[in-house]
Amino acid sequence: MQYFYRFIAVALVVTVVAVTFVPGVDDLVEEVFQRYLGRAAR
Amino acid sequence: MKTVKKAITIVLCLLLIPVTAVATAAVKQRFADGPNRVFSGGPLKTGELHTGWEPDWSFVSDVSTIEMQLLDPPRSRRIWTTEFNGKLYVWSGYMGTAVGRLWKRWPVQAERDGRAVIRIDGKRYERQLVRIKSGEILDGISAAIRSKYSSQTTRAAVETGDAWVFEAAPRN
Repeated sequence: MQYFYRFIAVALVVTVVAVTFVPGVDDLVEEVFQRYLGRAAR
Repeated sequence: MKTVKKAITIVLCLLLIPVTAVATAAVKQRFADGPNRVFSGGPLKTGELHTGWEPDWSFVSDVSTIEMQLLDPPRSRRIWTTEFNGKLYVWSGYMGTAVGRLWKRWPVQAERDGRAVIRIDGKRYERQLVRIKSGEILDGISAAIRSKYSSQTTRAAVETGDAWVFEAAPRN
């Protein structure tokens, strides 16, 4: 379980860095979120 | 019992990854000059500010979305727009559902303080949002909306509060 928690911690840091600095990742996240949000709001 | 607890912990930890991605993207957009898709953007800073005569808004029939910022709070979002009888209109659907009301907070904010800035094709316009709740004009506006978008907005939907329509009037 300890390795799993480490993996999650690293994944969270990588996620924040990727969304913040890698071009297009934030747009991709928003696009997917928009799809689910639109469905939920109907 | 221990296995179930472990499984729940694993699922919750894995869920943290997409939640973090969405939260990061939303926060990042707040610092941008304008919105992207669903997340609010920062104030509309760039673009020539229109002055003078009221524009001929018929050109918005070729514009799918516009950027709109309220002065209070100074956040921007991307919305649909239409022109009808020489006037510009914006609206928000989903106002009759709980998720919609949580998602679309700008209509409530605009009803409180309608001062807004819109940006179309890089040009900014100062406007005053005035809510239209009822009246025959909604037949024409909703027809204009339906002819432009695949929308089911009707006068009845506006009058029951499922959709909120605003005229983006000139600001005095």
